[in-house]
Amino acid sequence: MVPITYYLLLAAALFCMGMFGVLVRTNALVVFMCVELMLNAVNLTFLAFARMHGDGIGHVSAFFVIAVAAAEAAIGLAIVIAVFRSRGSVNVDDIRTMKH
Amino acid sequence: MNTEFVLFGVFAVMTLVSAGLVITARSPINSAMALVSTFFFLAGIYVLLWAHTVAVMQVLVYAGAIMVLFLFVIMLLNLGDAAHRGRPTVTRILGGASAFGLLAVLAVTLGRTNAMPANLGPQEQATFGTMAAIGQSIFTAWLLPFEAVSLLLLVAMVGAVVVAKSRI
Amino acid sequence: MNLPNLTLADFLPLLPAIIMVVAASILLLSEVFLSATASRGYQAVLTVAAAAASGAVAVGLMFEPPQEVFLGFGVLDPFSSFLTLVVSVGLGLAALSAVGFLRKRGAERGEFYALMLFASAGMSLLAMSTEFITIFVNIEVLSIATYALTAYLRRGTRPSEAGFKYFILGAFSSAILLYGTALLYGATGTTKLNDMVIPLQQALNGNPALVYVGAVLIAAGFAFKVAAVPFHMWTPDVYEGAPTPVTALMSAGVKAAAFASLVRVFLTVGKGMDPKLPLMLFATLALLTMVAGNLMAIPQRNVKRMLAYSSIAHAGYLLLGVAALFVAAPGESFRVLAASSLSGGTPLDVARSDALRGILYYLLAYTFSAAGAFAMVSALERREDEEKGTAWDLERFAGLAQRRPGYAFAMAAFMLSLGGIPPTVGFMSKLLIFQAAIDVGLVGLTIVAVLSSAAGAYYYLRVVVYMFMHPVPEGAQPLERNWGTEAALVISTVAVVLLGILPGHVTDWLAQAGTLFGQ
Repeated sequence: MVPITYYLLLAAALFCMGMFGVLVRTNALVVFMCVELMLNAVNLTFLAFARMHGDGIGHVSAFFVIAVAAAEAAIGLAIVIAVFRSRGSVNVDDIRTMKH
Repeated sequence: MNTEFVLFGVFAVMTLVSAGLVITARSPINSAMALVSTFFFLAGIYVLLWAHTVAVMQVLVYAGAIMVLFLFVIMLLNLGDAAHRGRPTVTRILGGASAFGLLAVLAVTLGRTNAMPANLGPQEQATFGTMAAIGQSIFTAWLLPFEAVSLLLLVAMVGAVVVAKSRI
Repeated sequence: MNLPNLTLADFLPLLPAIIMVVAASILLLSEVFLSATASRGYQAVLTVAAAAASGAVAVGLMFEPPQEVFLGFGVLDPFSSFLTLVVSVGLGLAALSAVGFLRKRGAERGEFYALMLFASAGMSLLAMSTEFITIFVNIEVLSIATYALTAYLRRGTRPSEAGFKYFILGAFSSAILLYGTALLYGATGTTKLNDMVIPLQQALNGNPALVYVGAVLIAAGFAFKVAAVPFHMWTPDVYEGAPTPVTALMSAGVKAAAFASLVRVFLTVGKGMDPKLPLMLFATLALLTMVAGNLMAIPQRNVKRMLAYSSIAHAGYLLLGVAALFVAAPGESFRVLAASSLSGGTPLDVARSDALRGILYYLLAYTFSAAGAFAMVSALERREDEEKGTAWDLERFAGLAQRRPGYAFAMAAFMLSLGGIPPTVGFMSKLLIFQAAIDVGLVGLTIVAVLSSAAGAYYYLRVVVYMFMHPVPEGAQPLERNWGTEAALVISTVAVVLLGILPGHVTDWLAQAGTLFGQ
């Protein structure tokens, strides 16, 4: 059997790739996709631990995470459209022109 | 070497490669397509973890619904080729470095877990990760978060309509 | 199939949230039948009535004995009921200040108030959640409603950009918090806080790194939500870009609910850990947040932005109170005793309970002062100046004492309270937290807190100086009056002064509120 540790390491790599993308990419939609990558990494972690414990908590949690991701997608894409309407661009660099 | 290892290796490598494409692709369309393939390979990995139901949900909801929404918005806004590269600001460099730092910490922590899958009896094997088992939990023990999710979906619907309205 | 044995008592703590959701549904459904120009005065009234009703129910629930509900997914205890009361107060004041704000912009719609009610329902549910997935879902309910509210107005580029920034950083921090949750689930095999205590101790003997990394990730996720330095970068832009009543709701309600959940989670997760670790974590966050928040607020001439930075500083003082909860004698695990069993506790037990009382008092104090201050900001701003960014300049407050003495008096009370100057509630609540922090032995950190709040007094008093000592600028437009704003100002002013001069009664009451289930 494949050790659970391998799955956990894969999830960790995926999570950090997502985090890297959120912090480095400029296109708003790609940044958002990277958040989805992070949520998927969390789901993989939940499922791997569920297999390790042999219980269903991880599966139910993953279910809830998918539902939340769908809700986030709806509101996030609506906001991206609103930004595009007001500025004509979805570039994060343009958005960060608000003074600091 | 058995089939499970081979499948895991293939799925894991493909997941990482597609995820890498998501964060490096120049055009958002390519990122979105790479993300879809990440979701598919992850669903394969879920099956290896005996999470068949979640794997099906992954394909239906993520790859099916959420990604279609993404593609729809990309097409709607006509974001074909945004070849713009971000300026390397201090925040970006620090952020990128912190992602690598977290990866190092996680690799050490999780590498030490030495975890193996649980040995399930035939009775448990028959119900582990099935739709019936998950559904029963959600509608009985997990009632409170389930109701909260129903509220969440309503809020998301109202919020999305309000934000995407062109005039208020 | 084994059905869970739920009784009516399980649904009792949901009552405030149910009231808010029902009111929100009425608003959404009635909006369908209204034409664009129909009168919408009833919407704010209904929202305020719902806030008052849920606040009254929350007060009633505070006298119920603490108990688990929904099989340990939630809890009914005075702590959660008190937080619901704070949230209801924030909601009521924000809705009152929204009346004039929306009417001036022709943007009065049922959806706005409905989303405010949904956000508050999420906050109330978050305060009572004791299971990680429930906590996560409720954080999302309140966050998604506030993202939408932030981007509600279609005026220029600011609101949608603020909404986007809030959304991305909010979703990012939720993912981090969730990953920490997943790691704790791996270490313990459960996501319920109350079931976690024993497996956590076993896990700490086996593979402590997993627990610690999980706890740090959860703390980082919460630090984003309460705007603690260095996770604060979204706050100024979002607070400034959001409609002012929404900013009031964010600074009062969202922060209170996130702090409640943070305290609840860490009082459980920290058990069995070396108490130094949560202490170090929160002491560091408190130090950075207090100092940086105050320093960044000083140069701001934009009052709305100044209040945003000041809300960061206030999160710092609250974190000082949180850090004080985790001070324990060697070999002892920290715990916060219920009011009834305090007499048998050690001096440290008493001090920790004082810290918890201080946090609750502070949240109530900050809700009144900040919501009042934002109501005043919304009364003075004109939407024509928003895109230029001058709508909130200090100049707008010049000579206010001559133009509207009542307004100037109210704003002065809020500024004194935020600055921690007697005889206001802000002073009393700061005193309670600082005293508790000294009692547990965090003397150095408390000295920093006192010094930085003295520095903070500078920028609050500057507003007072502008109102009372500067002449009215030439060409100043007459101020429109609005019943909602004035009601919000009167209520908050009375509360700020009364709670400041009658602290004895309040703290007795808070001793009761500082009772957490399972502690």
